[in-house]
Amino acid sequence: MDRSSAPSILVVDDNDDNAEIVRALLESRGFPVLVAHDGDEAIALFESARPSLVLLDVLMPRRSGWEVCRLMRQHPEHGRAVRIIMLTALAEWNDKQSALQTGADDYITKPIDLADLELRVRRNLALVTPHA
Amino acid sequence: MTTAPRAFLLTDSADGALAEAAEILQMDIVRVNPASELPASIDAHASVRVIVVSTDNPSLLRSIVEHAGARGIPVVLAGENDIAYRRAIEFRVDDWYLAPATPVEISWRIRSALARVAAQTIGPTHRVDRAEYEEMLYDPLTGMATLPVVLERTRGLIKDRGEVIIHYLNFVRYSKIEEIYGWEKLDQVLETTASAVREFLDSRSLTTTRMMVGFPNDDDFIFLQIPDKGQPMPTDAQITEAGRQLQSFVGNRLEEVHGEDVSSLFDIFIGSAHVYYTPKIRFERLIYRGVREAANAARSVEQRERVRRTATLKGVLHEGSVYIDFHPIVLSESGDIFGYEALARGVPRNLRSPEVMFEVAAEADLVWELSRLCRARALAGAKELLRGEQLLFLNVDPHDFADPGFGVLDSIDPRRIVLEITERTAIKDYPKFRERLRSFRERGFRFAVDDAGSGYAGLGSIANLEPDFIKLDISLINSIDTNFIKQNLVETMVGFAKEQGAMVIAEGIERSEELETVKRIGVPLVQGFLLHHPARAGAMAGVHAGRQ
Repeated sequence: MDRSSAPSILVVDDNDDNAEIVRALLESRGFPVLVAHDGDEAIALFESARPSLVLLDVLMPRRSGWEVCRLMRQHPEHGRAVRIIMLTALAEWNDKQSALQTGADDYITKPIDLADLELRVRRNLALVTPHA
Repeated sequence: MTTAPRAFLLTDSADGALAEAAEILQMDIVRVNPASELPASIDAHASVRVIVVSTDNPSLLRSIVEHAGARGIPVVLAGENDIAYRRAIEFRVDDWYLAPATPVEISWRIRSALARVAAQTIGPTHRVDRAEYEEMLYDPLTGMATLPVVLERTRGLIKDRGEVIIHYLNFVRYSKIEEIYGWEKLDQVLETTASAVREFLDSRSLTTTRMMVGFPNDDDFIFLQIPDKGQPMPTDAQITEAGRQLQSFVGNRLEEVHGEDVSSLFDIFIGSAHVYYTPKIRFERLIYRGVREAANAARSVEQRERVRRTATLKGVLHEGSVYIDFHPIVLSESGDIFGYEALARGVPRNLRSPEVMFEVAAEADLVWELSRLCRARALAGAKELLRGEQLLFLNVDPHDFADPGFGVLDSIDPRRIVLEITERTAIKDYPKFRERLRSFRERGFRFAVDDAGSGYAGLGSIANLEPDFIKLDISLINSIDTNFIKQNLVETMVGFAKEQGAMVIAEGIERSEELETVKRIGVPLVQGFLLHHPARAGAMAGVHAGRQ
């Protein structure tokens, strides 16, 4: 199996342009990146690739990011270990409360500030416990 | 054991881990080589239970899924890479895993595929998405199998024995734990509970088969007890006694792991139903009917306990048997004690938790009486405890303000008292309530909003009460060091409090990392087991005198 030492990141966004921008930034910083375009694909990739961190868009067709987050958290083996950052245009008190309730660790407000994104990715990865 | 032929597992894979998985599942394994023979083999073998495929040929995979689907046999894909996963979704195989995998993981996948197919025959006919199935089959938290899985596994045993006892374990007030401490804490408590229940059952050398069943995302468990052939079924008295022992076993374990405040919230009520197998009634219906019956039995046990508890509370009020634990609130920079929160506890063990005691009082319409008793005790204790500028934090219910006896204090200066109002209680008539607060404020009382930030209400409702102190909800503090959303919310609250001229209190500090984080954010006051445990006034005064 091909697993490099850098922690991998799963980017979930139904908008291809957004996903590509984020992928380009993170890959340029040396992180292996996987991209999913909807919730079902995200869950399948989550299960197969076991990424260390997930960047998850809230507004997606069919399954919302909230639902995907909740499902990932319930994964019996990997649900606790993963760090989940929500990408959202909504950042009022109650939006953050909902993010908490679904089990997210952090959030990034849209439009995305790439410097902020990198900072948040790094500070969350710093809390990932390394394991086999 | 019956002598029927063992179920077959058909595969094109030579993986040794798969052979071990088959052993775990007590299945025989039949290898087919080349893989292109698989579709024909499916049709040829009558007792094939499951197919594990490793081929990377898409058209062959499609053909295998079609043949298997026609006979209702689940297919599990052993993939090597991401492409295999996409195929798994595309062709709708029943489950998949990434090779190499451990035998246990493979057996888990095969079980879930088997159960998924079984569930389809009894469940809704439309196909539910994969992730939701997973939730249905295994409770993600406790790892317990859910009912469709267990039915599949025990069907033969129950038919053989002819009867089964279904035990329904109703865990009450777990929702309260979630309300007070947040869902992370509840998750931990559920895990502890599940492992304690399992340990309890394992430690008892019953010559029976026991199957634990979890309900996904719910607090209740059931377990099926099927005595081995030749063993007598347990009597009702034995079942009741086992339930009692289980309750104290789990209660003690919760206290060890999570402390008395959490364990005293805990209750378990067990109901049982005896189900006799009859071929005339569909097996699933028989079992589900038994589960309902057992659940009803558990509920009636709960009702009896409730009546008993109300009687205990009346005794407490009559004898005045409550005591107060004082929990220090300290300045986060210096560690000096700023004040004490009074926690009223009932002397009888089942009323030890203030939450439970007030819940029982509310049901019995005795809140005023209980509040008066608790306040009188708290004020008496505070008189000997408070030094210098220290304050007494008293929990009050909005209804207390309507009590004509409330606020008549001759023993203590109102300026030393902070009344804590919880954000959780719905205040119906805001203008009237604020009017009442104003009259208390004029007499020198101060106010704290308790459990702030627990809901979605935002900061507006807090501003409405013009508090002097804002006590953050425990759920915002638990693991705040690793959750950046909590940090952000608390930062927001600290800024808001400054504007309002209020001080923020972080309660529920249990770890030094949590303390460091709230200090860094600028929370001026802290409270929690890491700093001090709640204690009686006498003990507290002694400790602090000794420290000076």
